[in-house]
Amino acid sequence: MKLDFSFLWTAFIKLLPAVPTTINITVVSVLCGFIIGTFVALSRIYKVPVLNQISTVYVTIIRGTPMLTHLMILYVGLPLLIDGLGKEFGWSFRSVSIPMIGFAYISFSITAGAYFSEVIRSGMQAVNKGQLEAAHAIGMTTPQALRRIVFPQAFAAALPNLSNSVIGMLHGSTLAFTVSVVDINAQAQIVASTNWKFFEAYLAAALVFWGLTILIERLTALLEKRVNLYNRGGVA
Amino acid sequence: MGAQFDITYVFEYFIKLLPFIKISLLIVAGSILLGLGFGFLAALPRLYKIPVLKQLSQIYASFFRGTPILIQLFLLYYGLPEILKLVSIDISKLPVLLFVIIAYGLHSGAYVSEGIRAAVSAVDRGQVEAAYAIGMTGFQAFSRIVFPQALAISIPILANLVIATLKDTSLAFTLGVMELTGKSQTLPTMSRHFIETYIALAAVYFMISFILEKLFHLAELRLLRHETGVVKASRISLVRKWLNRELPAEIALNKGGSGI
Amino acid sequence: MIKLRQISKSFGRNEVLKGIDLTVEKGEVVAILGPSGSGKTTLLRCINYLEKPNDGEISIDDFTVHCRKPVKKDIHILRQKTAMVFQQYNLFRHKTALENVMEGLVIVKKLPKDEARKKSIELLEKVGLGNKLDSYPSQLSGGQQQRVGIARALALNPEVILFDEPTSALDPELVGEVLAVIRKIAKEGITMIIVTHEMSFAQDVANHVVFMDEGVIVEEGNPREIFQSPKEERTRQFLARITPESTYVI
Repeated sequence: MKLDFSFLWTAFIKLLPAVPTTINITVVSVLCGFIIGTFVALSRIYKVPVLNQISTVYVTIIRGTPMLTHLMILYVGLPLLIDGLGKEFGWSFRSVSIPMIGFAYISFSITAGAYFSEVIRSGMQAVNKGQLEAAHAIGMTTPQALRRIVFPQAFAAALPNLSNSVIGMLHGSTLAFTVSVVDINAQAQIVASTNWKFFEAYLAAALVFWGLTILIERLTALLEKRVNLYNRGGVA
Repeated sequence: MGAQFDITYVFEYFIKLLPFIKISLLIVAGSILLGLGFGFLAALPRLYKIPVLKQLSQIYASFFRGTPILIQLFLLYYGLPEILKLVSIDISKLPVLLFVIIAYGLHSGAYVSEGIRAAVSAVDRGQVEAAYAIGMTGFQAFSRIVFPQALAISIPILANLVIATLKDTSLAFTLGVMELTGKSQTLPTMSRHFIETYIALAAVYFMISFILEKLFHLAELRLLRHETGVVKASRISLVRKWLNRELPAEIALNKGGSGI
Repeated sequence: MIKLRQISKSFGRNEVLKGIDLTVEKGEVVAILGPSGSGKTTLLRCINYLEKPNDGEISIDDFTVHCRKPVKKDIHILRQKTAMVFQQYNLFRHKTALENVMEGLVIVKKLPKDEARKKSIELLEKVGLGNKLDSYPSQLSGGQQQRVGIARALALNPEVILFDEPTSALDPELVGEVLAVIRKIAKEGITMIIVTHEMSFAQDVANHVVFMDEGVIVEEGNPREIFQSPKEERTRQFLARITPESTYVI
């Protein structure tokens, strides 16, 4: 095989402008997913009537279907919904004014929400029940106890899973090409087909993703060291 | 875009998609089998700490876990024929399906190798000591004591992987494979009922993952019947809780969100 | 007869055993006492090579392992001549009580299955668990698990059974049943080496007491000598701290 190293480098340079798009999609979907996930997890842990059932259905369906189908359904469904409602109520807003990347943001946030809710839920369940009782015993209210005692410990317990889910969303963002958003993957496709060097282009894209993934893993490891200090018991 | 929503199309397309389940499942089954092989091979040097091979298998696992499956599909599709041309094997005529299975196999193999490592190290050290103490050899201790217990521990990991792979196969259409998603792309071209197709598609995937999950749960209960005190008390959650306790925290039980 | 000669063991730079010599006659019940960190558990684990001694010799009758350059086959033979009862029981979690006892007989001793089963049932009845044959470890109390552990050790007809603090993981009310079983088999003349914190038990069952501290044997002798008139100051201090309330009535 004649691996064209100089083209590998060229492709790499050409991919760089698309990196912010990938990062944007990942960050937006992770943040929104985290917020959705927290609400969903709390309503399931505390068995809030109605919300609990809705949450369970949401999580089960999203986790049981590919992320690609979420994007497809949203991409064709949302305009139908918005334009339908718009006609009904005489809005001037039309679905065509939603930017393509908006579909990716919304759809991936919905996907991420379901996965993050499970991560958050198992993190919360990993916290010993005695911790909450002890917090109550010294006179904290439940929100105080959650915020000051349970959440920090749950976060520490959930960190490895959180990191995995963030990486999952980073990798999942490659699906954005189906709604014509030019992320790293779509850019690789463009570079590949204009130069007829598919292997090098995708190899460059793979290396970029690999680098980003390792970066997330390293950051998690650092964070873990800080967060888990208390776990070791010593004063290291 | 598209026509007015009409629920009858959802049913119609659902039925039309059913025959293509077997292609998706073929990819899943082929790649998981392949992945078990790759994963086992990659796990051994790390369990037995063989120099060089150990580093290679670490790089393998890191790369295939560190890059999106979509990119891996393209990489393999364009790269593998080139690489094999070096040893003068011409595979450019092989069906695309085979490339897809190899790509998913390499991908899942990376997760399998991590899973094996995690499951083996989750078996209590005392179990091996007890095996040695009654005079077992290293091989006997592994095959009779460690392996069966590790197997039970790894069922949920495997379940997760199989379902994640099923969802990942929805990307095979990008290489033109006629699996579920690929077929769904062709359905609404005449009728313009896109949303109905995609809902039907999601429903098919949901049905398969639901059934798979139930099957794995049964297998798990059976393999964990020795933990009866735990299993009887409640159905799934406690089994998982037991597992979570046994497993070191750094191995997440799942692929996270990456099982798209 | 078991003979340990100059057994030494270090973890990194930490010297845990500093050349231990110990002779155990056939049928003796040896209790090893000592403060935690004195090396008594390590010594016990060296005898069946769960820890590799750095130097020394282990002999059982006329079979000897040279610890400086041990042969793999010899370690295997050594392990077949010894059996161990663990602090954390370490029953095979995926096997029933009966299967736990049978495992060594079938796999290591290559006994036919029905013979192994018969022998295992007898042993489980002997430790009072004839009605728990098909229970998994997770369904048994700590005391019951430990009694299965003892039956598993007995099954192999070892030259010696090593007990590593067999009751220290147990709830107080379960200690008695396990000690009763050990006492019962002690009377049958099986050689045993027991690391324990149960002073009154040691005094009562052992006929050879070894007191260890900081990796050496400080003093050894028959129980009356050690408990009533210890020669060494360290032994006296240890016993003074520990004896008053150790009274499990069996």
